[in-house]
Amino acid sequence: MPPASIQQLVAFGFFAAVAVASALATVIMRNPIRNAVGLFVHVLSLAGLYISLSAHFLTAVQLIVYVGAVVVLFVFVIMLLGPASEAPTDAAGRLPRAIGAGSMVAAGLFLASVVKDLHPDRVANPPGFGTLESVGRELFGPAMIPFEMASVLLTAAIVGAFAVARSHHGKVSMTTGEPADGSHR
Amino acid sequence: MIIHLGHYMALSCVLFSIGAAGFLFRRNVLISLMSIELMMNAVNLTFIAANRWQSAVPSADGTAAPVIPHHGHIFTFFVIAVAAAEAAVGLAIVLAFYRLRKTVRTDAADMLRG
Repeated sequence: MPPASIQQLVAFGFFAAVAVASALATVIMRNPIRNAVGLFVHVLSLAGLYISLSAHFLTAVQLIVYVGAVVVLFVFVIMLLGPASEAPTDAAGRLPRAIGAGSMVAAGLFLASVVKDLHPDRVANPPGFGTLESVGRELFGPAMIPFEMASVLLTAAIVGAFAVARSHHGKVSMTTGEPADGSHR
Repeated sequence: MIIHLGHYMALSCVLFSIGAAGFLFRRNVLISLMSIELMMNAVNLTFIAANRWQSAVPSADGTAAPVIPHHGHIFTFFVIAVAAAEAAVGLAIVLAFYRLRKTVRTDAADMLRG
């Protein structure tokens, strides 16, 4: 059995490499289904990182909410749109966007080089840290009111999603007054 | 070599910048939404890592074991809840937008332009 630090190193290295690679796949791939699969793998690798931080409850929440709901929702929409979900590319306006993206990457790498030397002392794993019971005690204690407001938010989001996505047959285009037939440009 | 807080922070900086770059560069609405999810996940990782390395609070009388509060976990929980709501509403907007314009290019979303 290797020592705990080697185990941590291997787990962190593996999940971090998978997380970065799948994030790049999510952003770069051309076919939206592949982007969704990249997001799926990314979310799974983050769940692994949460385990390495002994956040058991949030690992379960991550798996249920992201893998079970958000990624599936993305796949539903991609399937619903079909081939139209792949936007055609053209070179117009590519330079400003590339400058913006490149400056974001540069800022991110600079920040990473700044924060990578942080090493405060880590307290030994206290009993029950990150488990359902101990997180639940805080969730239903001090965080009770925000928790209830989150349920209101989710209800409002469901109603809003229904209201927005409901089909409006026979409606006309907002700008031209003509039937919305996609003849724009 | 021991994994420190800085390693997790550097990782989440890299993940956030990938998400931000994708949000700025790609013109597919779906991939923009996925990039937003990437950024939120990076922030969640920061919260949880910072929570793990926060110092323990000793009990008042000094007899019981020290306790680490779960504030970062609570924050992450609410971020996940808001992200789920955002994904639902965002994808509904994508569907309505596609119905109106028959495309998912962000450039086509100019109905409010004067």
